[in-house]
Amino acid sequence: MSTDKQVITLNINGESIELLLDGGETLLETVREQLGMTGSKRGCNQGVCGACTMLVDGEPVRGCLALSSACSDRSITTIEGIADGLNLSPIQEAMVEHGGLQCGFCTSGMVLTLSAFLAENPKPTREQVRHALSGNLCRCTGYTKIVHAAMHVAEAYSA
Amino acid sequence: MKYFEPTSIDEAVAILAREDDARCVSGGATLVAMMNADLLSPSTLVGLRRVSGIEGITKNQQGLRIGAMTTHATIAKSGLFVAGMNVINRAANQIAHPPIRNMGTIGGSISHADPAADFPTALIAANASIEVSGMDGQRLIPADEFFLGYYETAVAENEFVTAILVPKGPENAVGEHVKVTRVDGDFATVSVSLVLAFNENQCSYARIAVGAVAATPLHLDEADAVLTDSALTDEDIDNAAALLVKASDPIDDVRGSANYRRALIPRLLKRAVSLLKTDA
Repeated sequence: MSTDKQVITLNINGESIELLLDGGETLLETVREQLGMTGSKRGCNQGVCGACTMLVDGEPVRGCLALSSACSDRSITTIEGIADGLNLSPIQEAMVEHGGLQCGFCTSGMVLTLSAFLAENPKPTREQVRHALSGNLCRCTGYTKIVHAAMHVAEAYSA
Repeated sequence: MKYFEPTSIDEAVAILAREDDARCVSGGATLVAMMNADLLSPSTLVGLRRVSGIEGITKNQQGLRIGAMTTHATIAKSGLFVAGMNVINRAANQIAHPPIRNMGTIGGSISHADPAADFPTALIAANASIEVSGMDGQRLIPADEFFLGYYETAVAENEFVTAILVPKGPENAVGEHVKVTRVDGDFATVSVSLVLAFNENQCSYARIAVGAVAATPLHLDEADAVLTDSALTDEDIDNAAALLVKASDPIDDVRGSANYRRALIPRLLKRAVSLLKTDA
């Protein structure tokens, strides 16, 4: 085993987890390969596509560009931490209801981006939602229904 | 790959000097992307997030000091970028997408020195200086002399960028950053950063920097001089742009041909001037 690895504690989805990490390991590699949480997807691995989006201290970041070692004492949320047990979150519900997913590859990133966005902007315009999603690519091009889902949640909030 | 998190500038410099092939990392938006593409594989990473005194924007007599670890999002949302310094704020707002702006830092972005990035031209238009720290303390490098080539800067071995100093500039100046991209959030095909000041309808100050048309951001005193003391007519702008086109050395790549890039220079300059005339 390489001596370059260090034991680091990460807080993922509310749980403190001790991990042996290489300095170059990304959050995406840690959650998928060490923890077996495969909801976060590896798309471009360059920070472009948004399929690996996670929340770090509540803000959306790219899991493929974030070094795990640099995330100790920060709070990490992956798609696995968004639902409350079997109860889906409002945006997850709305995605199901509005058919906001086709192949599903981009979905976890979309849900995390929208969760953070709607928490900060509970009453957005459609244009603001589209802008918020500008960094998440859906190659099925199902954007319209994803935006519908987000607007549905926003309208439910403001009702 | 080893990973260190020093807490002071001196400690960070000592690690850079001690370890072979060590690289500083802040948000990871550029360095980790390069590692993922197998373009870089440093043996040691020096994480800068705990280094004190290199994060955040502070106002002083001369203007602003932007810590190297300040994220694009913080700069984009800051209200401190008044007068011509606004060019930096405008550039920050146009970098990639919100999640990247939450991660990427200004120090990391300029250290990467991609000629298609947004901060390099903005810092030149704002006449900023880059503070780098090393074994012998700190030195200031004018933004004009910082970018040496594709992905190449004046930062020496065992040094790293610790801050960006932005002078206030003329009080009545305004700044704008415009770019053409293939799709939202992409690197620029061509970008223009511009700071102008007006005296009545006359331009009293101009500083233009053009991105992605050469190995380094393009800035010509002669082009600035054409706009200064002019009425900023289309002819004045075309004359300034002609000098920039002549000095440019663009490449053909996926974002556009060299000819297309040359054609964009006068158009973007006109767009920037017209936006600033509305602001002023």
